[in-house]
Amino acid sequence: MNFLKTLFKKKPIGGAGLVILVFFVILAIASDWIAPYPMVNGVMQSDVINSLSPSTPEHLFGTDSLGRDVLSYMIYGARTSVILGITCTVLTTIVSVVIGVSSAVIGGKFDLILQRFVDGWTCIPGILLLLIIMGMLGNGILQLIFAISIPMGIAGSRMIRSAAISVKDSGYMKMSSILGAPSWWKMIKHVVPNIMPLILMGLAGSLGGIILMEASMNFLGYGVEPGTPSWGYLITDQGRSYMYQAPWLAVYPGIAISLMVFASAMFGDAVRDILDPRLKGGVGSYSSEKIEKQVARMLGGRALIK
Amino acid sequence: MGKYIAKRLLLLIPALIAVLIIVFALMRMTPGSAVDALVYKLTSAGIPADRASAEAMLGMDKPAVEQFFIWFGDLLRGDMGNSFFQSESVWNIIKTRMPVTLELGIMTLLISLCISIPCGLYCAARQDSVSDYSIRVVGVVMMSVPVFWIATLVLIYPALWWQYAPPTHYISFIESPAENLRMFLPPAILGALMQAGMELRMVRTVVLETMRQDYIRTAWAKGVGERTILFKHSLRNAMIPVVTGIGGALSMMIGGSVILENMFNIPGMGAQVVNSLDNRDYPVVQGCVLIFALFIMIVNLVVDIAYKWIDPRVELK
Repeated sequence: MNFLKTLFKKKPIGGAGLVILVFFVILAIASDWIAPYPMVNGVMQSDVINSLSPSTPEHLFGTDSLGRDVLSYMIYGARTSVILGITCTVLTTIVSVVIGVSSAVIGGKFDLILQRFVDGWTCIPGILLLLIIMGMLGNGILQLIFAISIPMGIAGSRMIRSAAISVKDSGYMKMSSILGAPSWWKMIKHVVPNIMPLILMGLAGSLGGIILMEASMNFLGYGVEPGTPSWGYLITDQGRSYMYQAPWLAVYPGIAISLMVFASAMFGDAVRDILDPRLKGGVGSYSSEKIEKQVARMLGGRALIK
Repeated sequence: MGKYIAKRLLLLIPALIAVLIIVFALMRMTPGSAVDALVYKLTSAGIPADRASAEAMLGMDKPAVEQFFIWFGDLLRGDMGNSFFQSESVWNIIKTRMPVTLELGIMTLLISLCISIPCGLYCAARQDSVSDYSIRVVGVVMMSVPVFWIATLVLIYPALWWQYAPPTHYISFIESPAENLRMFLPPAILGALMQAGMELRMVRTVVLETMRQDYIRTAWAKGVGERTILFKHSLRNAMIPVVTGIGGALSMMIGGSVILENMFNIPGMGAQVVNSLDNRDYPVVQGCVLIFALFIMIVNLVVDIAYKWIDPRVELK
């Protein structure tokens, strides 16, 4: 609640972004009631006589070549985008945190080898990795979630790792080691809560990129199955095939994608500004040197290294 | 400096090995479809083939580790294998397509810098004014609009309104510079707009940060003009993070080029990867991904070295 208040008061554009995102989420949840021509048994209704019609009172956004109502199709497309956006963002963050935190806390050879793979992985352009993984797994919503979350999570783990390392050097972590805490306990109890602002920032910041990525993959034909409504697929399947007879087929879904990405970007920026650990006393707010000295004194003046 | 470069080159080796393992593993996880593709190719050419013989031809009947070292040895000898469907070696395909992608990439980069540096500088100089605000919003819009959508619209509406369509037949720059540019400019501008949105935000932030430095205050105090301060004192220092940012932007630019090359029929590596993937032509995909990764690695190295060269204060570790 406090966070929302700050968001709307200090970052009105970010607040507007959130409102737009909530709007899309409502469309996604209630698409069966909102859509003028809802799906019947999981298939879009088609009005074949009026196929490729421009916007009329019956079909506000016109129809596509199969006579499907574009407005309804896009409302269901919002459902696909929202599902993909939310699950991929959460999974991406989980992958980043697991890799980044474990690499930082376990350290040693594990860290060295794992980081070389992360180095190599980040050298391969993301869209190529996605294309290859989708080529391997075949089309489908679960496959797309997997293909987006893993590569983006690995790429994002770098930032989490460096934040976790800065926490690792602090006194309370050393105390925890002295008390004999196992690695997993340190990760869950000390590292993750202390880098939480950064994790949330990453969560909000990656949403826009993920939606853009998902739309691009659908556009290239490596996305959800053809029967699943999706904005990106509408542009490539209908918009490009009938671009001279029915240009509106390419226009509306593009506006929807742009709006959603724009809203996510604005919201993400606002979250970053509010949560930035450099502005607030988040990471590193414990004075590690002080605690270190105390611990050293307790142990008879011996310097504590590892 | 020489020592630093040598050290960086040595550090390149483990990352390179990691890339090789990743690319190999990704490709070998789909043995079925690669074998099927080869069987299909052979039978359609009239050669009787079954899965076992196709597997033997691809060397897939050996253990994975052995396959990796055979592949690696071939790579060292410069042999990247042959395409399943184009009767050419992978290296020949890449050789003809690489310059095309490079040209598109360089043009995109130059255009985006021409847009983002002046805009970013202007925004920083007039911080929080209406024009600053509007340029920034336009910047975010440019980042949010999917490049494939704008490209689709660029293909549709000029054709509907003015009967204009970008040329779809590739002519090399040496043959006819004008024809070549007519083909490359539309995709390069589209890619650059997306890129510029991101860069201009970065330029603005960095310039604003340098403007708060003590030496700038000194410059103001001794009566240096605004133009000199902006261009000479501030921009020069602000360029350092921008240069490093270019390295990071590269990967995204290649992503954009995959889509743009496909849409504008430009015979570059991006278009090749998607085509080969559609045809399950795995050796070509593997080769292209490897070259892309190598290229990004080298650019990152060059950027890091350039970083030191531009800013002598940077301590090399």
